[in-house]
Amino acid sequence: MIIKLERIEIQTRRDMEMVDVTEHVERVVAESGVRNGIVNVMTLHTSSGLLVTEGLECLERDVLAHLERLAPKDGNYWHMRYLDIDGRLGFNAGDHLKSILGGISCFFPIEDGRIVKGSRQRVYFVEYDGPLARTFVVQVMGE
Amino acid sequence: MIDFHTHPLLVREMVHRHPELERAAREIFHIGNNFQPLETFLLELDVSGLEQAVVMPIDCERTRGLPIWTNEQIAELCEMTDRLIGFASVDPLRPDALERLDRAVNDLGLRGLKLDPPLQGFRPDDKSVYPLYERAAELEIPVVVHTGMSWEPGTRLADGNPMALEPVAADFPELKLVLTHLGWPWVREAVALALKYPNITLDTAALYHDNPRDFIAHVMNGIVPLTVFERSLRHQIVFGSNYPRVEIKNMARAVRELGFSDGALDLIFRRNAEKLLGNGK
Repeated sequence: MIIKLERIEIQTRRDMEMVDVTEHVERVVAESGVRNGIVNVMTLHTSSGLLVTEGLECLERDVLAHLERLAPKDGNYWHMRYLDIDGRLGFNAGDHLKSILGGISCFFPIEDGRIVKGSRQRVYFVEYDGPLARTFVVQVMGE
Repeated sequence: MIDFHTHPLLVREMVHRHPELERAAREIFHIGNNFQPLETFLLELDVSGLEQAVVMPIDCERTRGLPIWTNEQIAELCEMTDRLIGFASVDPLRPDALERLDRAVNDLGLRGLKLDPPLQGFRPDDKSVYPLYERAAELEIPVVVHTGMSWEPGTRLADGNPMALEPVAADFPELKLVLTHLGWPWVREAVALALKYPNITLDTAALYHDNPRDFIAHVMNGIVPLTVFERSLRHQIVFGSNYPRVEIKNMARAVRELGFSDGALDLIFRRNAEKLLGNGK
């Protein structure tokens, strides 16, 4: 049984954006030596997301716009207050809610050393409150 | 366009070089966010539509045992990018306060002075501080003085009352004073001072609860009508965010959406700051 975990940092550049990280996940799987197993991917931040969809710029815009409609930044939230644990003002509740709605993780089977995924499926790190340096983890388990 | 009120506390490269900056951020300034590469700071300016930011330390070593960055560290950071404008901070009660300010401006190239009476433990109208004001006036640098509420534990709210700056504004008419946070909760007092004393500028970094849009609207178009800022004080306001307590992008949007004329916005975001900094002299 092999279990390997890698933390990957990326720099997001906008307030909201989708960053295709599929190649990062494929590289970690290839380097793990696992031939058959699973790979889990998860963001470490509660105002970001991790999701799978088709790799089209138009869809990226639609995903972000839809989540913004569901959980607008300008909504009226309890979270809009001074957060003494952070020493700063909190008003990104909409971004936390987007993270919940869009999800924070995904997994794929691994077969013969390769990720099993649909030909259109891409893995996205989703920034809801950038720009920030963000970290997601890729964990490979198998034989 | 310039953000006139930021603290570079989260810049990771500097924390790696100077590990004590982690304690300054966590235990003295009380900010809990992850440290970030300098690039994040610059991208935050980009998404806010700004080119530059003033970065400020606070010399609170006497009262807190550790400064929130030294003048040398601010200068070191500013060598990494031309988008940051470094200010100095000097404890006015240090015996060598004047020498420290001279060195910060003349040798390190810092372009203003930051004072925080609640954190630094002095009264801004104390005559023992006057020599520092006098030297700042001689150096023709702006002096940013914390007014308004202080979050830091151990500080006293009363020490942030802007009215304590009236004698200073009156006694040093050539001194360029910048009062932070619009003086909140003493907004009317801060505005009255700016109306009376043309050497007083107010920064917009007033955010203490709710959200930037609603709070800034409450302060700048509620407690005091927007027309007062537009008609009477448009040459005496600079945009400031107080990053990283608040994201620059959110504060910039809140001020832009207030309803100022394009001319006033140009003054607030650019020209007033450039004048304070002496650009073009």
